Amino acid sequence: MESPEKLVEMRSITKRFPGVLANDSASFTLLRGEVHALLGENGAGKTTLMNILYGLYTPDAGEIFVRGRRVQIRGPKDAISLGIGMVHQQFRLIPTHTVAENIIVGARDVGFVLRFGRINERLSELIKYYGWSISPTSKVWQLTAGEKQQVEILKALYRGAEILILDEPTSVLTPQETVVLFQTLRKMASQGLGVVLISHKLDEVMAVSDRVTVMRRGRTIVTKPTRETNQRELAFLMVGRELSELEARPMAAGGKPVLEASGLQILDDKGLLAVKNISLRLFRGEILGVAGVSGNGQEELIEALVGLRKVRAGKILLDGVEMTNRPSADFIREGVAYIPAESLRYTAADMTVAENIILKSYRNRRFSKRIFINWKTVYDEAGKIIKDFNIVTPSPFSKAGNLSGGNIQRLVIARELNLQDNIKVIVAAYPSKGLDVASTEFVQRKLVEAREKGVGIILLSEDLEELFLLSDRIIVMYRGEIVGELPRQQFDLEKVGLMMTGVKGAEVKA
Amino acid sequence: MRLPRGIRIERRLELPRRTSAALSAVFILLSFLVASAVFEMMGVNSVRTLSTVVSVFLSPPSLLQAVQRGLPIGLAALGLSIAFRMNFWNIGAEGQIYMGMFAATGMVLIHAYYGLIPEPLLMLSMVLAAFIVGGAYCLLPGFLRGRLDVNEILPTLMLNYVATLFVDFLVYGPWRDPQGFSFPLSIPFPQYARMDSFLGHSSYLGLLIMVVIAFLVYGLMQRTTLGFEMRVVGQNLEAARYAGISIFRTLLIGSFIAGGLAGIGGFTLVSGLIGRLRPRASPGYGYTAIIVAFLAGLNPWLIIPAAVFFGGLLVAGETIQAALNLPFAAVQVFQAIIFIMIIVAEFIKRYRVSIRI
Repeated sequence: MESPEKLVEMRSITKRFPGVLANDSASFTLLRGEVHALLGENGAGKTTLMNILYGLYTPDAGEIFVRGRRVQIRGPKDAISLGIGMVHQQFRLIPTHTVAENIIVGARDVGFVLRFGRINERLSELIKYYGWSISPTSKVWQLTAGEKQQVEILKALYRGAEILILDEPTSVLTPQETVVLFQTLRKMASQGLGVVLISHKLDEVMAVSDRVTVMRRGRTIVTKPTRETNQRELAFLMVGRELSELEARPMAAGGKPVLEASGLQILDDKGLLAVKNISLRLFRGEILGVAGVSGNGQEELIEALVGLRKVRAGKILLDGVEMTNRPSADFIREGVAYIPAESLRYTAADMTVAENIILKSYRNRRFSKRIFINWKTVYDEAGKIIKDFNIVTPSPFSKAGNLSGGNIQRLVIARELNLQDNIKVIVAAYPSKGLDVASTEFVQRKLVEAREKGVGIILLSEDLEELFLLSDRIIVMYRGEIVGELPRQQFDLEKVGLMMTGVKGAEVKA
Repeated sequence: MRLPRGIRIERRLELPRRTSAALSAVFILLSFLVASAVFEMMGVNSVRTLSTVVSVFLSPPSLLQAVQRGLPIGLAALGLSIAFRMNFWNIGAEGQIYMGMFAATGMVLIHAYYGLIPEPLLMLSMVLAAFIVGGAYCLLPGFLRGRLDVNEILPTLMLNYVATLFVDFLVYGPWRDPQGFSFPLSIPFPQYARMDSFLGHSSYLGLLIMVVIAFLVYGLMQRTTLGFEMRVVGQNLEAARYAGISIFRTLLIGSFIAGGLAGIGGFTLVSGLIGRLRPRASPGYGYTAIIVAFLAGLNPWLIIPAAVFFGGLLVAGETIQAALNLPFAAVQVFQAIIFIMIIVAEFIKRYRVSIRI
């Protein structure tokens, strides 16, 4: 039996960015008919390597062969004509256009007069083949995240892609949608396509791929058939060391709630009611998980709980003191820490690491007397904090903008945990979103440590496994309401997944 | 932006300070070369022109003049350095200078007509009034930006015309000197309202004021919580909000101080250079201040020499006009070339441009 054709071969690819070696003679082969996982931590160079294949970057050194022929890919146009398609993490779709219109944007062979009848027919065939339920004529804004992703895939397939790259495709999906996606990937492979799955999630890689290539610090460490390896080995290869197991022991929570909200109604940025009527209580030493598909009011809820968003109705009590609609500076002073997602957005990139560490605590008597900031104390303290939290930076005086994603998240966590001496509540929104294994472990460990000190924690996460691992209790939100609450003993992936789609807690149990 | 194939622009990391300063110097020298070429095209001997410029800084009397001219520029630029750090693009220093002149002159008139302010306090009251009125004038765009999210560039720019015409109105109308043969001029200031009544020449007192204010601005921005808040607001509004900083309050205070310092610049103009209020007393010092603030990289200490340099250019411009029969616009061309070169230098400091064929 002859071995399958090599669709892509990348040899010794090197790509340098200012101050970083993103790819260090990395090599990669994609065979016809396989799902090939490209696994690595953040900043390992996975996306860079694939962006090179898709023509978004030109490599500084190295060779690329497509179907055995050496090629120069100067831009996505070249890549598309070689049959390479890429689905990015952020969708590039026009919401007000239909699925079909989005798909033919930039396609070459449609001619001057658009014959939608024929285009729709072909699209319907493809949709039917993959067992999806989207229609070529529906508008993109009506679609869920998972369906939008299907449109992106369709776009690549319609253009005749044989080589499909997906960059962290599951990061926007519910567990159920992920299952559908994986079926799609398997089907494409069986059709003789080559699929590259960029991921840092081990379970996904194990579940769907035929082969896996692990990257670390710009280098491709190893390529193996997936069934000849396991999660533990992959984690070790990826991080370069053994990970310690994180153990979250349920802790007896009780007494007075540290944070209590009742009858909350909150508007979103468009002025629509995002949170309809929510009441919740958070106890000391408890981690309360909030599950839900992004956009069901969770973001608005937590912003209100830290004083960054006004509530239209309802009450927020912190340790029995009314805090409703007080300025966020008051929440900070009273010991409410907030770890946001996309920490870069909450960082002053051109200011120093130390200045960013004290961004929320500069009013604290430790760092300023009356109106003057005591920079000596600030930089001394910052030096210690940098060590404690393993923030990789040349010095506390370096610009925060030069830190890598994982280090910025560490910085934000350091900032929040050093907010003041008496932290009562931590609100963490997607704290490990986009983080690699080692940084995720670090974040989770810090949260558990805080919980053991008696801090009440609200944890918002789209990673159900993370929620299950850390939470003492989980509430599920759907369309601005809490549809269910589960104690730790009753955690169940399927149950929560169903509730996330709006099925009420009681119905799930039945 | 689409670039021709082969040209790539990539961000680079921070350059060491020395390299950065050297780059600036090279580009300023380069601007002299370009300016020379322009002068040659206008049929003027560029060597003579440039040597006139250089000689301004070599003789003490003309250097004092340069300082005198540099005062309103430098003070306005110190204010701008605060506003720009806050990401508040105040283009209205010119108008704030006019309002400062208005306020300072107002104090003199109150003193002269009503005798309400005692002689020894007159100067101090002029400075304070100039600061407050200039600041208040900048408060309006600050308020609009903070409350209604109105971009500040247009309001500050438009208010320049309002202020200029307002001063015109005063000196052509109610504030015209009754003994002034109907020239559009206010009464001449008494000696004790003139800056040269202290330390002999107005540039000495002016330089002192400028150094003190540069010190205060530096301290404010680098040492105080307020300065920290202003820098965070300028860096990232979302981060500021998240840190519990009141963006509105910070914008108001910052824009007030920025306008106030330009106002003091207006004071130095009427009290130091001219000695009375007249129409079009500032030939665009407030705009030159923008160039100066950038040339100095918003560093208060570097603003002083940069302002004196541009003051010197103005002095040289007058000589050139007289001796070489060049229009005043030639000086503005020179200024503009320097500004463009500064921008190019900044670009090169931040990005690496590589050309590969």
